[in-house]
This record gives sequence, structure tokens and C-alpha cells, in this order.
Amino acid sequence: MIEKGRISAFQMAIMMYLVVVGTGIIFIPGITAKYAKQDMWLSPILASLAGILAVCTAFQLHKLYPKQTLIEYSVNVIGKIPGKVLGLIFLFFYIRMNAGGIRIYADFVAGSFFTETPLIVIISTMILVCAFAVHGGIEVVGRTSQFFIPLYVLFLLIIIILLLPDLDFKNLFPVMGNGLMPSIKGAITPQSWFAEFLLTAFLLPFLKDVNKGRKWGLISVFAIMFTFVVTNLVILFLMGSITASFTYPLLTASRYISIADFLQHLESIVMAIWVAGTFVKFSVVYYAIVLSTAQLLGLSNYRPLVFPLGFLTMLFSIWGVANETESSSYNSTIFPFFSLVVQTLIPLLLLLVAFLRKKSGRRKPN
Amino acid sequence: MIWGSILGITFVVALIILYEWPKLKQGSKKEKATVVVLTGAGWLLAVLLVFFPEMPGPTDVIKAIFQPLGRYMEK
Repeated sequence: MIEKGRISAFQMAIMMYLVVVGTGIIFIPGITAKYAKQDMWLSPILASLAGILAVCTAFQLHKLYPKQTLIEYSVNVIGKIPGKVLGLIFLFFYIRMNAGGIRIYADFVAGSFFTETPLIVIISTMILVCAFAVHGGIEVVGRTSQFFIPLYVLFLLIIIILLLPDLDFKNLFPVMGNGLMPSIKGAITPQSWFAEFLLTAFLLPFLKDVNKGRKWGLISVFAIMFTFVVTNLVILFLMGSITASFTYPLLTASRYISIADFLQHLESIVMAIWVAGTFVKFSVVYYAIVLSTAQLLGLSNYRPLVFPLGFLTMLFSIWGVANETESSSYNSTIFPFFSLVVQTLIPLLLLLVAFLRKKSGRRKPN
Repeated sequence: MIWGSILGITFVVALIILYEWPKLKQGSKKEKATVVVLTGAGWLLAVLLVFFPEMPGPTDVIKAIFQPLGRYMEK
């Protein structure tokens, strides 16, 4: 086997939490507010269905083909050539997704904090750090995420608690004033973030306790849904109808915190935890990319591919994306549908074919 | 400036190869070929992007495919 490290189902849950929340919390509240207005807290609940679906699909596929990743069993399911082509599609999708995520992170850091730093410096330093983590293997990535999660959740809680006195609960109304459509529309972008749970298909083969994989995957989905609902509610209660005019509402909210003129400028905390979260996110996706490439080409070691693929990811994050507006429009209007096809529909079809093949295969010997 | 960028790109690519090469010694031919091809492709793409930053790429293909659905979101 190509990877000797093992992680626990709990570590997988933490990694997946940070994979979705990492860039999600930067990008999602602004986008959901834009489409769903005061119903923005409903969208993550609807969107989490994509996450539940992805966890179950990945788990079932892994059950049919134990100890194999998505790339390996797609060859077994639909044949050698179509399987390899499908693997290439997944590979391209994840490289583009990671590049898009890094671009969101870089635009956020460059736009809000390091206004003079060239984008490429922010992008390449992040990829370099992730490359070292991925070089260490899945265990290292798992443990880094375990290290960051308490800080991440703690600081998020502190921000929310400090905002509590300023919340105006009347901003919630009218609930579903324009029917369900706005919240469904607002759920389209977050569903692509939840669908990233398909990445569990790359992690399940390395679990020590595989049978707990689905349970922890679902717990992780619910934890993410809860996080998004709470942050969206807090933002909504604080800003009301003007939420949609901010690109990073949570950052704006944290700038608003001022306790006794003493506790101020908490946005630096927000940035610090977001950088930590995105670091784990990119490392996990990066790991999946490197592993898929090695398995696609039938190599026995994935480590030599880490730096070349990181370099390519860096290029993809600037290729064809001229500025922040373009990146944001790609991520809110194109990427959700691209993800719906690659991360939800294709795996479901794969599962269907695998299921039928196993069924007919079992009948043959008789 | 352009030549500076190209020099920088070449430097980074050279670092990648220098870092990986000693470990690739025991590796198979296939591994060496993959690393060389991927890094070479990265170098070529980076240099092309220095000269033509607006060069159309796979992202434009994806945009073209999903644009009809994307338009629904822009309403």
C-alpha cells in the first residue's frame, strides 16, 4: 500500500470539519446573505444534504471496494480506460478546487490585511507550508488538524460571545418572507462546500476504525451545519439587511467588537484562526491530489510528486482568474454546478454501477 | 522584470528538482519521468503565463460548460 500511516475516524471528522469550514467561513456567509437575505441561516441546513449524501456515497463505495480510494475503484467499476479518464477528471477538479480555495484565502488576506503584498507571495508561502505537511503523510495532516481544532473552535466561540450584547433578534423576521426559493438559491454555493465530503473517499482506506467512518463523517457534517447556522445567525442579528453588502461579514462583525474601549481589533484573531483552518483544508485536498496522481499513474511512492503538483496548483490559482471579482463570481456561479456534477452526480452513478456489478457478479458463479 | 520572473521560476523549479532528485535515486524510472514531466510542465506553464497572463485555459472551458446554469445564479 502506498500510504503506511493510519488515522482515526475522529481525526478524519476533524480534518473534514476544517476542510469545509476553513475557506467556507470566509466565503459562504457573504454569498448566502446575497441570495437568501434574512433566510441565510436556513441555507446551510439545506446545503448539508449534499454533505450527508457525499459521506454515505463514499462510505458505501468503500464498503464495496475495501481499502481502495476513489481513483482505484473507479478503474474497477467502469473499466480501465474510462476509469482512468474519470480519475483525471477528479484530479483536475481537485486541483482547480484547491487553486480556487487558495485564491479565496489569498484575496482575503491581501485585501483585508496585507494590502501591499503581491498575491503570489501569499499563495506560494501557503502552498509551501502545506507541501511540508503533505510530505509528512496523512498522519501529520491528521495531527496538525487535531492540534488546531481546539484553538479554532475556542476563538470562534469568543468572537460570537463578545458579539452577543449587540445582537438584535428582530432581524430574523420575516422568516421565509419570499417563500423557500431564496434560501434554496442561497444553498447552491454552500452545497458545493459540503460536497467536499467526497474527500472522505480518499481518507477511508487509511482509517484504523473503518466501521466508525460513516458515524464520524455524519457528526462532522452536522457540526459544520451547526457552525454555519450559528455564524450566519449572529451576522444576521448584528447587521440585519445590510449583511449582503459585505464580502466578509464575519470579519466586519469582529471589527465591530469593542468592549470598554479595551478589547478591540479582534479581526487579527479572526485572520489567525482562518489561516490555520485554511492551512488544514489545503493540506487535506493537496494530499488527495498527490495521492490520486500517484495512484492514477501506478507509482509506489507519492512523496516526490508533492512539490511539482503544488507548483501546478499555484499556477492554476492565477491562471484565468484576473482579479477578486472574477474569482468570487467563479466560486459562486460556476463552481457550485461543476461540483454538483463531479462531486455528487458522478459518485452516485459510480455507486449505482458498482452496486449493479456486484449484484450481477455474485449471481454469475451459480 | 519579465526576465527576472523567468529567472525566479527557473530557480524554484531547479530547487524542486534538486530537492527530489537524491530521493528519487532508488525510485523507478516511471517515478523519475513523472516528476520531470510534471515539473517541466509547471515551468513551461509558468513561463507562458508570464508572457501571456490572459492565456485561455481549462478554467475557461469549465466556465463555458456551466455558464447556462451560472446565469440562473446571476439573476
